[in-house]
Amino acid sequence: MNKPQSKSVLLEIRGLKIDGYSDETWVPIIKGVDLTLRRGEVLGLIGESGAGKSTIGAAAMGYARDGTRISEGSIEFDGMELTTATSAEKRALRGSRIAYVAQSAAASFNPAHKLIDQHTEAPLHYRIKKRMEAQEDAMELYERLRLPSPREIGFRYPHQVSGGQLQRAMTAMAMSCRPDLIIFDEPTTALDVTTQIEVLAAVRDIVDQFNTAAIYITHDLAVVAQMADAIKVLLKGEEVEHAPTEKMLDAPEEEYTKSLWAVRSFKRPQKSRPEDDSKPVISVQGVDAAYTGGAKVLDDVSFDIYPGMTVAVVGESGSGKSTAARVITGLLPPMKGEVLCRGAALPPRYQDRTREQLRQAQMIYQMADTALNPKSRISDIIGRPAQFYSGLKGPMLKQRVDELLDLIELDPANFYNRFPPELSGGQKQRIGIARALAAEPEFIICDEVTSALDQLVAEGILKLLDRLQRELGLAYMFITHDLATVRSIADEVVVMQNGRVVEQGAKEEMFTPPHHPYTDLLLSSVPEMDPNWLTTLLEERGVDNIGEAARV
Amino acid sequence: MSMFVIGYYAALIAASCIAAYFQNRQAFMLLFSLTLVSFVLGIVGGVPALQGVTIFAGILALAAGTSYAFREFLIQVSRPAIAKELRTAPLTAAFGMFVIFTYAIAGIFAPWIAPFGQSEVIASAFEPPNEDMLLGADQLGRDMFSRIVYGARNSVGLALLATILAFVIGALAGLYSAVKGGWLDQLSGRVADVIMSVPSLIFALLMLSIFGTYLWVIVVVVAIIYSPRVFRLTRAVAGNVVVMDYVEAAKLRGEGDWHLIRKEILPNSTAPLIAEFGLEFCFVFLLIAGLSFLGLGIQPPTADWGSMVRENATLISFGDITPLIPAAAIALLTVAVNFVVDWMLFRSSGLKEQ
Repeated sequence: MNKPQSKSVLLEIRGLKIDGYSDETWVPIIKGVDLTLRRGEVLGLIGESGAGKSTIGAAAMGYARDGTRISEGSIEFDGMELTTATSAEKRALRGSRIAYVAQSAAASFNPAHKLIDQHTEAPLHYRIKKRMEAQEDAMELYERLRLPSPREIGFRYPHQVSGGQLQRAMTAMAMSCRPDLIIFDEPTTALDVTTQIEVLAAVRDIVDQFNTAAIYITHDLAVVAQMADAIKVLLKGEEVEHAPTEKMLDAPEEEYTKSLWAVRSFKRPQKSRPEDDSKPVISVQGVDAAYTGGAKVLDDVSFDIYPGMTVAVVGESGSGKSTAARVITGLLPPMKGEVLCRGAALPPRYQDRTREQLRQAQMIYQMADTALNPKSRISDIIGRPAQFYSGLKGPMLKQRVDELLDLIELDPANFYNRFPPELSGGQKQRIGIARALAAEPEFIICDEVTSALDQLVAEGILKLLDRLQRELGLAYMFITHDLATVRSIADEVVVMQNGRVVEQGAKEEMFTPPHHPYTDLLLSSVPEMDPNWLTTLLEERGVDNIGEAARV
Repeated sequence: MSMFVIGYYAALIAASCIAAYFQNRQAFMLLFSLTLVSFVLGIVGGVPALQGVTIFAGILALAAGTSYAFREFLIQVSRPAIAKELRTAPLTAAFGMFVIFTYAIAGIFAPWIAPFGQSEVIASAFEPPNEDMLLGADQLGRDMFSRIVYGARNSVGLALLATILAFVIGALAGLYSAVKGGWLDQLSGRVADVIMSVPSLIFALLMLSIFGTYLWVIVVVVAIIYSPRVFRLTRAVAGNVVVMDYVEAAKLRGEGDWHLIRKEILPNSTAPLIAEFGLEFCFVFLLIAGLSFLGLGIQPPTADWGSMVRENATLISFGDITPLIPAAAIALLTVAVNFVVDWMLFRSSGLKEQ
């Protein structure tokens, strides 16, 4: 990773300013950013959403997205000024000399064409290679990226390969013309920890082997620590700090950077089950479930959630975490087994449950955008459950809504009459919490509540949830794939894989070896802030034993 | 060389030069190519052709000016939130709104605007326009202008009623199908298929000859013919909303279907429905005009644009444009509504990002 600093400059951005069009005026989004990238160097761009990371990434290709314009500054790529280049000149660069890897490979591949046809499109278009040559080259790249059966996988359609494989295929595609610069725009954000590793390893291999320069955009510090030679921290379109990775991790200078680094420190003492023989607030007993006509998604799942405790349910996507939540809420009646609430069986279908039973269990959703009706006022969103369950009206209802808004630390006067689209992600999630609280439940299901949020905001939400638990004695079922979150908030952990519970117990026990092999895999796959973590891990597991290959 | 021709070219060339000076490439190309075309046109068609071009350009400019002024007027009188939306309206949409506004005024205040009653015979048949009658008389000697004004009330009112009824039936069925799913969804879907499989005009003629040509029969039959289209759209739009987490949250709260529809789904599917309303209105209007033209719609002596075209149709062979006036009224309204709908569709689709 230590490259000589004397290498020639590939990309130089000076005083870049970009405006975005909103409400019929041009608002600055990037307020003067400088950036220098040498050949073979990897630069990590990091910041919260809205900090302008992706906009800068796109600008490095001389591209301004719809509704944005480059208003000032210069972008010089290998001696060529991109801000004044014609669109034909810029087009000739893209794909051949500058490549882009998008966040969601599943959405970025054209589902109607085979992978290899999409891979060879750029080399054929630029007449760099003949079709057969390009295909040979693609297979070689697939092999280097350790995709399974590299000679055949290219002839599959995007929906026939898994998400991690698709992301690697996309990285291979970006390499098809051997570009000088690749821009990675959050390539692993949508992936599970276990799949993330294989993509990270692939990206690093490629960059090392071909001496390609790269801009790596992410909001995950631990990931960027593995990838980048230098890190640039952005906040609201301005640069906060820029330093080599090691220095940045060990001795950050700015307050904001330090706060980013400190996020993962939130931890609260673990609680244990109540000593007296109080019944669990929710008890899932031997549940089997399947979606219509499908295979079993849950297989003999049992766990208990005691009052005032937080039970984290962890596992990869597809492990049945969310399905378990759907069974508890009654959206998916189980095939076998039952759900008990304080010892009494709940009717399997939510339609058959009484209002009182429905009130007991509330949900907070992952995507606050889709969880709040965009056409309802905040006062209605929060007020409706209070009105519905408690029959509050008029001034009483208004008082209750104010109370709830105070509880989630939002100013009632400011938010009472606003609509969800006017709020930020964190504020929306708080409103979602307030809606759940309005029903005065004993038990709340938190379905990946922090995974769509930036780390600082997510920490705020976790603290809020913790405070509410202490004040109101709530029980949480915390569905997540982020083990850092589990570490900070959970009392008990349930590990799920392929619809089965593989291990469960108190948190401290779960985080101390010996583990179930699957728990071990999950735990060791969580990126750490140590820049050598990935290298060490790959050495331990061996190159053929990462990601999906490491299935147990 | 008349003064007109000299002035015509002088004005065009001066305008081109101004456009070129201010670097307005589009305007310059338009004006100067018009100048070039006018050379050919002037040689081939002489002065009348050039006069025609001038009049056409004048009408266009007048319409654009009216639209612009009307949009400013709307922005001034409406609330800030609506005014902000209106600012995004293109001139065509403003023109459409202006026409709709004019028709609405004509329809609502018909008895005060029209100089004569709609069935009042005041002159001999087919009398040409004079001081009393702006547009002349029809085949029975009734004032054409008065009948056009009353027609705005009858035809447009009836079409509006039928469209609203079609929307109530179609949207309710669509929303309930989306929320309930299962057999109700299947049943209403198949019923819609059956209705759509029968050619609409034949179905309408059949029903009208069975039940007689009463107003309520026309309204109900037309509403039934057009409701399946609304049903399909609503069901598709609502289907996308039903899967949202906030609807799930409301379901888990134990809310009834009616609350789900009214508070959660309907507010989030209004944009495409409003656009569809405008479009459907045009189709309904044309169908009713067609029925009236065939003699099965609104019955005489009630003024109606469709039947007015038919009654005065003989006049077209004498080179008189009278029968085309109600037809033009229909066409203008249809175009106007479509202009407004285009704008709304543009807004509700993601196209506005540019």
